[in-house]
Amino acid sequence: MSAPHPIICLLLFPGGLMLLASSLFYEWLERKLVARFQNRIGPKVYQPVADMLKLIVKEEVIPKSVNRTLFILLPIFGFACVMTASLYVPMFGVDAAIGMSGDLVITMYLLSAMSVCLGMAGANSLNRFAVVGATRTLTQLFAYEAPFMLSLLLPAIAAQSWNIATITKYAEGKTWMMLTLPIGFVISIIGVMGKLEIPPFDAPEAESEIVSGALSEYSGRGLALFRIAKNVELVVCLSLIAAFYLGGIGNPLLFILKTFVLLAVIALLQSSLTRFRIDQTIGLWWQVGAILSLAQLMVLIMVKVL
Amino acid sequence: MQKSAIDLSDIQEDTPQSRLTIEQRLRNWARIKSPWAIHYNSGSCNGCDIELLTLVTPRYDVERFGVKLQGSPRHADILIVTGSVTFQSKDRLIRIFNQMPEPKLVLGLGSCSISGGVFHDCYCVVQGGVSNVIPVDVFVPGCPPRPEAMINGLLVLLDIAKGKRQKSDYNQPTIVENPDVVEAPLNAPEENGEK
Repeated sequence: MSAPHPIICLLLFPGGLMLLASSLFYEWLERKLVARFQNRIGPKVYQPVADMLKLIVKEEVIPKSVNRTLFILLPIFGFACVMTASLYVPMFGVDAAIGMSGDLVITMYLLSAMSVCLGMAGANSLNRFAVVGATRTLTQLFAYEAPFMLSLLLPAIAAQSWNIATITKYAEGKTWMMLTLPIGFVISIIGVMGKLEIPPFDAPEAESEIVSGALSEYSGRGLALFRIAKNVELVVCLSLIAAFYLGGIGNPLLFILKTFVLLAVIALLQSSLTRFRIDQTIGLWWQVGAILSLAQLMVLIMVKVL
Repeated sequence: MQKSAIDLSDIQEDTPQSRLTIEQRLRNWARIKSPWAIHYNSGSCNGCDIELLTLVTPRYDVERFGVKLQGSPRHADILIVTGSVTFQSKDRLIRIFNQMPEPKLVLGLGSCSISGGVFHDCYCVVQGGVSNVIPVDVFVPGCPPRPEAMINGLLVLLDIAKGKRQKSDYNQPTIVENPDVVEAPLNAPEENGEK
């Protein structure tokens, strides 16, 4: 399918409203799946909508010690970053709205900018829990970012292009890269979990230790924006992985189904694993993740050259 | 009610659902469907706290009503207080209540939160329970209350919250100052008399 008019892309479909609605749906699906895996009933389908509405109409407390401008702007900036990233990614099986050579790097940069915003928001709060949470968020950023980036570069190297559209076209013609590059696929899935601070990588927002991490001081609108930004990031990352590793775009319905399957895998991992300490997270990523993805890269280069 | 606790008569009476505008109805709907709670133990024997945790287990699962236990008071709508208020935790309780953004509700859990329970005469306990320190909307009696009673209490709390304490109803957040509570037990021996 070809991309629709840019304005429609930006405001309605696949960006804008459609993306917001689907991100809320993905959040519900994730929570429901986790609940079902834990033998609970789980939330109703309108639950994320109610959460967002409630947060938006609630009072927003701005502490005296923070930098007001940063406190208000950081959620908006983080939200804008992930919404922009969605324009480069083939969302819902529709071709990306914008394409250029090297847009894969831009997308990864924009997705990381969200984590940086989160860290800055925590550091700005001057709340001791928020500062510790911010430290952990940024530490974790340095841990998962390199392996996650490598895992997304593997398909790029296989397709000999930095353009997302070219890579997805290449992936459509071949066998699923999930089979040819299995380690890269696994690392990209776990990378998404690290990026979104989903358990077992939720040390940055560990409730029992540091209240709510970097977001401890946020209430109302700022919290709602950060939550929506995280949901949108989840949808964007899942679409990216499905497009790269699960056989390109193909049929849009099938594509959406593939992202649901990926989400189910994440929910299963999330409900069956316990939280890592922050040093364990770093150790895991650098000692196992980075080395495995480098090994996969070596294998790929060998195959390409020979 | 102590003089420094908020005056509940200022807050608008219940308005019938039919008279609310669409925006107010939407707000009410969102508030009632998504009550996030924070739990504070103000000096309980831990019985109510253990019973409270059964609410998030598969058997009772309050996530189907949208209730989530939050870590930060800034994220929460409902403050669940268990136990009698000790002098040590009184200031913390008031601080947590003041940190919560409007609109906020308080649920007192267990007999101790109503009257002090078995600790009512204790040398280290605020006389008369949680409502002498912060305004409480609903109490759930029991020692500890059954999980069904707690779920009922939550639902009653959400029911009476309809149309009350809207964001538009107040100009500034409810801030509770340190109330005058009896610092020493009523039947404490006089220090001079002992010497």
